[in-house]
Amino acid sequence: MFVVIDVAENRIVMPGELLSDKPERIAYAFVDKGKTYSTVVGLYSEGKLVPLEGPYEPLPEDLIVGIISEVKFSGYAVAINAAYVSFLSSREIRERYEMGDAIFARIDRVDEVKSVELVDAKKLPMGRLVKVSSVKIPRIIGKKNSMIDMLKSATGCEIFAGRNGYVWVTGNGNQVLAEKAIRMIETQAHTSGLTDRVAAYLKSQKSN
Amino acid sequence: MGATGTDKPKLYSDGKRVDGRPLDGLRNIKIESRVLNDADGSAYIEWGKNKILAGVYGPSECIPRHDQSLYRAIIKCRYNMAPFSGMEEHGRSGPSRRSKELSKVIKEAFENVIISENFPKTQIEIFVEVLQSDGGTRCAAVTAAAVALADAGIPMKDLICAVAVCKIDGHMAVDPGKEEDNFGESDMPIAFSPRTGDILLFQMDGLLTREELAEGMQLARNATERIRKIQVDAIHKVYAEPKEERFLVIK
Repeated sequence: MFVVIDVAENRIVMPGELLSDKPERIAYAFVDKGKTYSTVVGLYSEGKLVPLEGPYEPLPEDLIVGIISEVKFSGYAVAINAAYVSFLSSREIRERYEMGDAIFARIDRVDEVKSVELVDAKKLPMGRLVKVSSVKIPRIIGKKNSMIDMLKSATGCEIFAGRNGYVWVTGNGNQVLAEKAIRMIETQAHTSGLTDRVAAYLKSQKSN
Repeated sequence: MGATGTDKPKLYSDGKRVDGRPLDGLRNIKIESRVLNDADGSAYIEWGKNKILAGVYGPSECIPRHDQSLYRAIIKCRYNMAPFSGMEEHGRSGPSRRSKELSKVIKEAFENVIISENFPKTQIEIFVEVLQSDGGTRCAAVTAAAVALADAGIPMKDLICAVAVCKIDGHMAVDPGKEEDNFGESDMPIAFSPRTGDILLFQMDGLLTREELAEGMQLARNATERIRKIQVDAIHKVYAEPKEERFLVIK
């Protein structure tokens, strides 16, 4: 669901707020007595509801940034900013990791009790972790990577934005500036004209 | 809770209560959301002279493991009064029986609105700290906790709120202050889901006739619309005036 929504066409809805007088199948909404209501604080427009906050819910095919939290016998436990344990089997990877390593990986399976299995991991070089709310990640990436590409070129850093809300900033560029810009996007993700404002901010900081 | 004695104050005369309010008048309520850095969701409420902070964590791994459910998130709630909040003996260690009671009824109110089936094996924790108390803290606590849960993005069937009604000098009135709570003839806190009108918390002290009870419930229902508006405004303000640091400003 990598969609960037223009807030001008949306309205902010509350939990329990009526979205439709008919029963509709909308993510983050529920149907009660034939009418559809929101379950969260979110942006709603024409049948689509995007939460403005919320926990990360792991889905297969999500690309995430994880931190190795435990070295087990047959693999690794990886912290992915979810309430659920995620596991990376040694059979899936060639490299070896240590506690605290950052990896970029793909979610292969999520079972019915929400245990997560990861595959296709690669170790990330030394850098810093910026934790943001997972619902803001699409905005940090931007339409066709527009926002994240701008951040990378303006700061000179390599940035990996995990769908789980973990953003890894690495490289010889201005990591502090990258982090500040990411926080700015997180705070204002629901507003319009953000890309221009972030570009202006990055430009003003570069000349300092 | 009625008190005996000849020094009981006159609570209602000339159409006014001790603080000048009409029978259906609410005290001044202010809510600020997203005020704590560490919590996943938070809210601060000033309701009359009550000052209460609510912080929410979750969903997170359920600890201890044996508490967890394979089918839903476990809701936990701790209502606590600070030693300087004005009501309890200072520095008394451990939760009082009243605190345990309120923790339980508040938790049960939210168990019925949080869509916990989405998060098996996890816990959602609600912490309410009363910094200053002046009657009606459990209603203010529920009202603030609902905003904190919405701030955390925890899916719910409704944004709930609570208000109490009392009987003072024979009249039903909404939102008793401390004096009316202590010297009135009855106190009845109620939590509602405004969307359906369902009741999620219902307690009562004192003596009421059926008619008085019905009148009181209607007074409470009428008040929920005003309270909900204040909750919604607090949530909207988070997005209308986004701030990077979460901090609390007490004006």
